[in-house]
Amino acid sequence: MKKALITGITGQDGSYLAEFLLSKGYEVHGMIRRASTFNTSRIDHIYRDPHIRGVKLYLHYGDLSDSGQLTNLIYNIKPDEIYHLGAQSHVRVSFDIPEYTGDITGLGTTRILEAVRRSGIKCKFYQASSSEMYGDAPAPQNEDTPFRARSPYAAAKIYAYWMVRNYREGYNIFACNGILFNHESSRRGETFVTRKITRGIALIIAGKDKKLYLGNLEAKRDWGYAPDYVEAMWMMLQQDKPCDYVIGTGETHSVKEFLEEVFNYAGLDWKEYVEIDSRYFRPTEVELLLADASKAKRELGWSPRITFKELVKIMVDSDMELAGLDSPGEGKKILKKKGIGWTQNHLTVG
Amino acid sequence: MSQEKRVLITGITGQDGSYLAELLLSKDYEVFGLVRRTSILNFERIKHIQDRIKLISGDLLDQNSLINAIKESNPNEIYNLASNFFTTASWKQPVFTGEITALGVARVLEAIRTINSGIKFFEASSSEIFGKAGNVPQTEKTQFYPRNPYGVAKLYGHWITVNYRESYNMFCCSGILFNHESPRGGLEFVVRKVANTVAKIKLGLCNELRLGNLDVKRDWGFAGDYVRAMWLMLQQDKPEDYVISTGIPHSVRDLVKIAFDYVNLNWKNYIAVNPKFVRPAEVKILFGDPSKAKKKLAWKPEINFEELIKMMIDADLEKIKNDYKNI
Repeated sequence: MKKALITGITGQDGSYLAEFLLSKGYEVHGMIRRASTFNTSRIDHIYRDPHIRGVKLYLHYGDLSDSGQLTNLIYNIKPDEIYHLGAQSHVRVSFDIPEYTGDITGLGTTRILEAVRRSGIKCKFYQASSSEMYGDAPAPQNEDTPFRARSPYAAAKIYAYWMVRNYREGYNIFACNGILFNHESSRRGETFVTRKITRGIALIIAGKDKKLYLGNLEAKRDWGYAPDYVEAMWMMLQQDKPCDYVIGTGETHSVKEFLEEVFNYAGLDWKEYVEIDSRYFRPTEVELLLADASKAKRELGWSPRITFKELVKIMVDSDMELAGLDSPGEGKKILKKKGIGWTQNHLTVG
Repeated sequence: MSQEKRVLITGITGQDGSYLAELLLSKDYEVFGLVRRTSILNFERIKHIQDRIKLISGDLLDQNSLINAIKESNPNEIYNLASNFFTTASWKQPVFTGEITALGVARVLEAIRTINSGIKFFEASSSEIFGKAGNVPQTEKTQFYPRNPYGVAKLYGHWITVNYRESYNMFCCSGILFNHESPRGGLEFVVRKVANTVAKIKLGLCNELRLGNLDVKRDWGFAGDYVRAMWLMLQQDKPEDYVISTGIPHSVRDLVKIAFDYVNLNWKNYIAVNPKFVRPAEVKILFGDPSKAKKKLAWKPEINFEELIKMMIDADLEKIKNDYKNI
């Protein structure tokens, strides 16, 4: 029975990954920060009743700023696999807190790599690298495309990517970079644009909000469904050799297109409800991200199951139900059909 | 007041900092340097100009001290030369290297942005960011592939500098400097190490020079030439990034041969290759193409490789003789 340690377990990806690994019989350990307010809402449904369900999920306090605790955790848990997802992950916010972002998102990776190395345990390490590293590099972007940082977040992620490469090449540690393009779900943070939109429309329909304020509608991203992407993370660590892989759908859509899909699905005209607020603009924008995930398809046999339009339906259904409304229901049907069966959270549809 | 030129240099006690301070003093700048409080003073390289520069206490780990230093010096230009520079030690202290060499840059940039975003900023980037570079020679367009925690931290420093220029229209330049040494270089750096040891061997004070990989090739220049390039970058109309190098690679073996020939000794009698000096993930060859700097800055190195080595051996011969005279 394998043991996994997940940093960032309370986040979108961490919570899906924890469920996925539990469904595969892993004993899952997660590192969480101590906070005076509860921060485990995305994993509460798997953390409840551990004895009754026989769920093997253990949470430990720690922080990516604290090398000592990272070393303790790794040395004591002795995980077979480490999924390093913890970070300050919001690009726009990184312009406001660049030093903190560099410390946690960048240096945090060095701290955990050092903890792995010093513990002497043999384990496989996954780093959550990001398509944001590509910046304005020409699309489509693959594993060989040079990086161009367009935000303090990107600079930190590039730093972390190269630390992983150096530890792999310098110390022969099995460490992989998953270069994941944007991936969303019902559990996505509410300040990320996709979730902001789907939650926003639900609140508008429920009569709780009148307007939705957005930034740059022209930016184009390659959006996928997070549960598909966490499966790719796991696949990377099952290979014989550590490698870096781009994960994405191979399609790109503007924020405006996402907006149109959402509002059309819910039967409204977005132009009546959306206003532009320049505070959401980035000082330097990344205009276009589009993944070439052919290596992952070829070597891991991975490809995305949920398409852009399906993602919209899933997220809108979920946010409408959360707001106490009846949803159009197509999203739920898609999930039933495509069988993301290893996730049990009834509140977030799949 | 507005006519006066004021500069703040971090890393002023280092090799480059000391040459840069001299250069800027000669150009009538008011020179301020950031120094860390240490129980043992580390001012040997700036002793000779200490009465003409102003030292401000601070640390790249401490944001507030940076803000204070900028407020106190009110500079037109800031040169960020401070880092914990030693590539092999960076494997032993990778987090600390990140704190100083990576995050330190973000802290300085943020301090500038909040106090006065009109201050011109130079970041001392390093050829180590090229690492296992694809093409040789390396130019401003070469893909990065750092091979040690120091190189990775410097890569972060480069990108955060570029990002602040693009995000906030700040006048920020990243100078990608290839290896540059001088008589003031640290003894752990190979050209100084060789020069110093050859001087000692010549004076009969030791009989062995221990090195790592003799076939590694680097592009070595004189630090005094390179600080001139830094200054030139900040005098242009537009901020850009430049590779600064001689464009001519030499192997450690070349270095050793020239050094021993200069003192009329046979290098083969004195060399011992020690595996502890060989690095994990070694970079085999690094040499840069400085054509952009030559064209746009009208910069070129004045001191060549042989002249550099001879200058350094002469300086060490004199220093050692003086040290021993006092015993």
